[in-house]
Amino acid sequence: MSTVTDLERRFGDPWDPANPLGHRAVLAADERSEMFADGERMLDDFALNAEFVPTALGGRLTGLDRLIRVMRSVFRHDPCLGLGYGASSFIASVNVWAGGDAAQHRRLADLLLGGHKVASVYHELAHGNDFARVDFRADPGRTGELLLTGRKEVVTNARRSSAMVIFSRTSDAPGGRSHTQLFVEKDQLPPGALRYLPRFASSGMRGVQLGGIEVDRCPVGAGVALGAPGSAMEIALRSFQLTRTGLPAMTLGALDTGLRAAVRFGDDRVLRGRPVAAMPVVRGVLAESFVDLLIADCLATTVARAVHLLPEDTNVYASAVKYVVSGRAIQAMARLGEVLGAQSYLRTGEYGIFQKLSRDLAPAGFGHAARVACLATVLPQLPRLARRSWAAGQASPEDLYDHRAELPPLPFERLRIASGADPLTAQLLAAAEALPPGTGELLRELTRTFTGELARLRTAALALRPADLAIGGDPAALDLAARYTTVLTASTCLNLWLAEQGRPGTFLADQAWVTAALLRLAGELDGVHRALPASLAGPIHAELAGRYQAGRAFDLFHDTLPDRPRSRN
Amino acid sequence: MTTLPNHQDAGQLRPWLLLRVAEFTERDPATIDAATPLADLGLDSVYALALCGEIEDHLGLRLDPTLVWDHPSIDALTAYLSALPRDHGA
Repeated sequence: MSTVTDLERRFGDPWDPANPLGHRAVLAADERSEMFADGERMLDDFALNAEFVPTALGGRLTGLDRLIRVMRSVFRHDPCLGLGYGASSFIASVNVWAGGDAAQHRRLADLLLGGHKVASVYHELAHGNDFARVDFRADPGRTGELLLTGRKEVVTNARRSSAMVIFSRTSDAPGGRSHTQLFVEKDQLPPGALRYLPRFASSGMRGVQLGGIEVDRCPVGAGVALGAPGSAMEIALRSFQLTRTGLPAMTLGALDTGLRAAVRFGDDRVLRGRPVAAMPVVRGVLAESFVDLLIADCLATTVARAVHLLPEDTNVYASAVKYVVSGRAIQAMARLGEVLGAQSYLRTGEYGIFQKLSRDLAPAGFGHAARVACLATVLPQLPRLARRSWAAGQASPEDLYDHRAELPPLPFERLRIASGADPLTAQLLAAAEALPPGTGELLRELTRTFTGELARLRTAALALRPADLAIGGDPAALDLAARYTTVLTASTCLNLWLAEQGRPGTFLADQAWVTAALLRLAGELDGVHRALPASLAGPIHAELAGRYQAGRAFDLFHDTLPDRPRSRN
Repeated sequence: MTTLPNHQDAGQLRPWLLLRVAEFTERDPATIDAATPLADLGLDSVYALALCGEIEDHLGLRLDPTLVWDHPSIDALTAYLSALPRDHGA
């Protein structure tokens, strides 16, 4: 039995009101602004933390794509569990794997495998995503000692974590070498030295313990430093390639359940004697939302695999995932809400889970890194990538687009703070030359749209003034970065479809979905919404309805789920 | 140790870097002190990465993107880059 199947079986059918781990129980915990205790106990039994620990250290972490797939199951049932039980420890741990020494690796592995939580203590409200300006300090104290002073605000599991990874200032000089990360176990601190700030009330993720810490000249052994003094920015920018890719990809589980709620509602709700789902406009929205999920997953899964296979080049890609996947998922949920109407607004009943998922999904757009901050990471790298990679096609590395193929271990030491080149975009040009016979005229035309857009982007990127690359530059330059992410996404969709040609007869090998995906992405370029023609909406909706009836996930992996369709309840 | 490809010795590299920094920070090159930390000139971490890319393409080298953090002034960059062996990053 696969890990996902095992985990989904433990959750059981979320739509069954009698299931103690179902939507009804999840909603009740949310109404109390509590973590879902029964869900947490189940995840303890499942040892979810082992998913964050590399196999070499006794855990189950092999690949980022596999981790995403497991965590997506948690987010499908309750995003508060996803973040508050799981992903926050993942964020913290990646920094230790990327920057810590062997003893720190061992200690973190022991903590996580022992069921402890580790908090990622980066954020200060005054500075948001601008980590270069954090004020929390670690100053030299007595020999072999650091003195910690400052506040960290809106930190997941600030109080209940056993250990923290703290981003702290260790030099007053500006620049990238003035901060050091600290891996601090709370029981290393003098009693009472750590003060907790009250929970920050929030619109979504209500169960998650969003707190803060405050310390004043709190002594701790200098051995808590991760990596060399001044290495925090570098470790963080390397770690972000896992977290900016992984977190949005995990939250697609919430869109899966949101889409499932809308399909379910479409079957259940009768208007003028016919189910709502029989209306072409509703089918269109459902089919388009399904395509949006597939588009987001194509980019996310490809980049997750690229972190293993092309680690020198994934810096820009990870920020693109954060921007594209969170945006597409949030927009898709909003459109599905229009299908559900009043049921998207009610906090109880069969569809009450939808409004919770919508609220819980919102932080995907700003939590950990804001979407615009991700564009600001992409933008200054574009002129170089345009010079190096956007003029000639490149073939994909073997196994990049085959999610069944095993990956080499995560190469933390090869991740860089800027992308070396842009092979995924160059693969668009190669794909355009490799369209198989039988490729429809619409797909050929859309492919030309994107290769043409890449040529325009190249001209524009090479003409960017240095002043436009930084925060505060011309907004049109940020738009260029956004358009780049759309072209990159189109390239991953087209190349994944090409790779699937080796398995003919499947939905992913058929050109309906990829044509629809490029049609939706083309709308992103010119702002013109293109409704799916009936020739595409038909087969895509049929696949969606089939997966709903069979209890299969809507993402690329289409795992078997315990969700039973309404008619069989 | 030999000089860089294209014989980019310090005498040619320093004025080129000065012009790049002037362009990035929109200053008159004559007002830039080559010993001042780049961050104090307003060259933040975003510019630092972009500048590193320009240096790489100008010299035909692969450099660590943390270059500008570790050699944070025009003088420091010039000294570091001039001392690189000819086959660096090849």
